[in-house]
Amino acid sequence: MNEALREALSAVMDGEGDDLALRRLLARSDDPALRAAWSRYHVARDALQGHTAAVNVDISAAVRQAVDAEAAPRRPGGNWRSVASFAIAASVTAVVVLGGRELAGVGDPSGAAPLASPVGLVNTLGASPVRASYGARPAPALQPAAADAYEELARQRLRLYSQEHAEQAALNTPQGLIPFARVPEINR
Amino acid sequence: MRGGVAVLRWLLALSLTATGSAALAQACPATNPEAIALLEAFARRAEAVSYEGVLTLQRGNSLRMMSLRHGVADARVSEDLTLLSGQEARIVRGEHPLDCEHPGHRLLRLAVAPEQGACGLAGHYRISTAPGERVAGRHAVRLLLQPRDLYRYGYVFELDRESAVLLKGTILGAGGRPLEQFQFASVSVGADADADAERPPAAVIHQAAHPHPALPREDGDSGLRWAPGWLPAGFVATDAAGVHSVHRSYTDGMATFSVFVESLGEALRPGEGVVREGSTVSYTRGLTLGTAPVLVTVLGEIPVNTARMVADAVRQVR
Repeated sequence: MNEALREALSAVMDGEGDDLALRRLLARSDDPALRAAWSRYHVARDALQGHTAAVNVDISAAVRQAVDAEAAPRRPGGNWRSVASFAIAASVTAVVVLGGRELAGVGDPSGAAPLASPVGLVNTLGASPVRASYGARPAPALQPAAADAYEELARQRLRLYSQEHAEQAALNTPQGLIPFARVPEINR
Repeated sequence: MRGGVAVLRWLLALSLTATGSAALAQACPATNPEAIALLEAFARRAEAVSYEGVLTLQRGNSLRMMSLRHGVADARVSEDLTLLSGQEARIVRGEHPLDCEHPGHRLLRLAVAPEQGACGLAGHYRISTAPGERVAGRHAVRLLLQPRDLYRYGYVFELDRESAVLLKGTILGAGGRPLEQFQFASVSVGADADADAERPPAAVIHQAAHPHPALPREDGDSGLRWAPGWLPAGFVATDAAGVHSVHRSYTDGMATFSVFVESLGEALRPGEGVVREGSTVSYTRGLTLGTAPVLVTVLGEIPVNTARMVADAVRQVR
């Protein structure tokens, strides 16, 4: 996976994807490395939500489908908005974030296209609780236990490792000793 | 220390050769001469000026106050930072030679004077200047560093017009949103700085570490050999941590992040946890390296997505 592709993935995952980032991803959605990375991020987030991970779901296909649906011409009587890159980026992020069971139905021949119109928005800043819904279907609920456990680990590590990190930051950024002021509790 | 610096330069040159082929293939991006001149003053001169004062660090709703002293004598820097609110603690670094150059500082200097196509910071930030504010009663010039990609944050520094001492710094996230800010409330620069001023009391006094740039750091064994499979462009190792080390740090000259790998007795259910404070993110993830269950933590002043991608790429090595 090349750097431009990584950056495009990063952008879309961060909710900052523009047309270009999205086009890059879609153009290369057959790239096994990209699919693998995409899948790994998705598994991590999926697990965060307490789903049993459906690891091998082909997300790129789902994304294509979502984008095709978005890009479909205005339907008579429908209330399709014109295609805004942000809406597409949001739906891609939602696909990546929600993943799992939601996507497992995508390839199912009996399943109606479930990704038609993302109306909710994903909180794209990392692994915070996700709020999104597809059409009338509610977003899967978070299972607090699993998510909280990892967040607690991250909090503990922040306390545990901040000083060690600050030692390096103080020597390698132009901020002098100021990085130590970020340490929750200074130890001898 | 000179020998250490030489080895460090060599290590750095090596890592730049290995990872910077794209940068080598093309000239450094053009930066306007005014910005280069200010960056040069910041990179080369400010460190050699004595100053002391009281400053604040604001992160979200929390505000920390501290006193900082930076004294230079005989080409050696002695610094201390004493917290004035919250914990009674002081961090001290004594007698740090001005010519002891760590990789982050090296990347800052490369932006001023590129060597063999290595542009340092300039390859990853757009550097510019603007008229500055008045900070702690002094006039400042603004130095802006806008990231060229999404892997790092932006910086706005207010530098003292006379001495280029850093008076105020703001770290900006996506969309220019301020994540944290530090600034002097009062400061004395140069001859006015009183090297013997009485320091506030502190219950905890910590001597800042100075890892030898070239000797393997031995501070814990993760029990397995690991390597980062991917680093965002422009980041290099800050020291010579061994392959078994629990902890390694990387810098692009502005930002740093540290990766910690802990062996676990049994595998955790896959997942991730994120905690943010100001510009700092702590990202923790349960992974399996080979057959070994591990907990990987990426901690640093970088966007969460960069942390996630770094954690995702940690690999076991033979």
